[in-house]
Amino acid sequence: MWKYEKRLQYPVNIKTKDLRLAKLLVTQYGGSNGELAAAFRYLNQRYTMPDNRGKALLTDIGTEELAHVEIISTMIYQLMKDASLEEIREAGLDSHYAEHKKALYPTDANGVPFTVMYFATTGDPKADLMEDMAAEQKARAVYENLIDLTNDPDVLGPLLWLRQREIVHFQRFKELYEMYKSEGL
Amino acid sequence: MNFNMFDEIDYFTNVNTENDMNMDTNINKNSNLFNTYEGYVKGNLFKNLYKSYKNLKPVKIPVNSERDELLLNIGQLSFAKHELNLLLDNYPNNTNALNLFNKYQKMETEQVKNYERRFGPLTVSSNMENIPFAWVNDIWPWEN
Repeated sequence: MWKYEKRLQYPVNIKTKDLRLAKLLVTQYGGSNGELAAAFRYLNQRYTMPDNRGKALLTDIGTEELAHVEIISTMIYQLMKDASLEEIREAGLDSHYAEHKKALYPTDANGVPFTVMYFATTGDPKADLMEDMAAEQKARAVYENLIDLTNDPDVLGPLLWLRQREIVHFQRFKELYEMYKSEGL
Repeated sequence: MNFNMFDEIDYFTNVNTENDMNMDTNINKNSNLFNTYEGYVKGNLFKNLYKSYKNLKPVKIPVNSERDELLLNIGQLSFAKHELNLLLDNYPNNTNALNLFNKYQKMETEQVKNYERRFGPLTVSSNMENIPFAWVNDIWPWEN
């Protein structure tokens, strides 16, 4: 069961539209290392964790990733909402407009649509946790690439914040992985 | 910091987990935890885990209204609680983490009450007596 809270986990208030950036940021929504993939990777893996620590951690981090999907979606929405057709064309988003107008649609930065292949679940708890650690590292790296590509503080704030979350999640997954390893689980 | 990755770290030295309900002063500067505000702005409650990128400083969260201020209070307490929640998932016997969690929980409940009194429900289950149905009326979080 899930319960919605009518607030963002971290506030987003972008004052300057930037379509080029919206086109790139979308990868953290619908790309292989994005938040949507992370949320459902963890929520999908949790059923076969060998003990309650794993079930709890994957449930809670998976749930947090849903809040990150909302943060990234909000950023993309705010970066695009006041754009003119001219600006949409200039940024190369006319193909997006043709299919989805200004609605959100999960793809990577090259327009490749989201796929469940990103869930990456083996049913082996240590292999899955190792996958999750790698996922957090890759998401951190992509956030750093995106941080390199902007200097708007309204965008940098949430990107730096989301990057830190990858670091904390990596640590928690790593702790659990090491505990399972030492306990022979 | 040099520690074995799977040894539980004592984050709670110099942390007052009881009594003091003042938002920002319950964490001593020598502790291993950031206070709730600093942790929230950084996106990380744990000093030993915090690593900046290219020395970029976290961006200050703008507060332009009473609503922003209440959301910042709720945001930081909820965030600190969530950080402790993830730690407790791995180490469910950590009494200090649980005490601090419960302390922040109480503080958050107060702040949510203050917010909802002024700006309407944060969840669909609270303050639902009046017509029109308040849940649909307030600003949705993605609107700026």
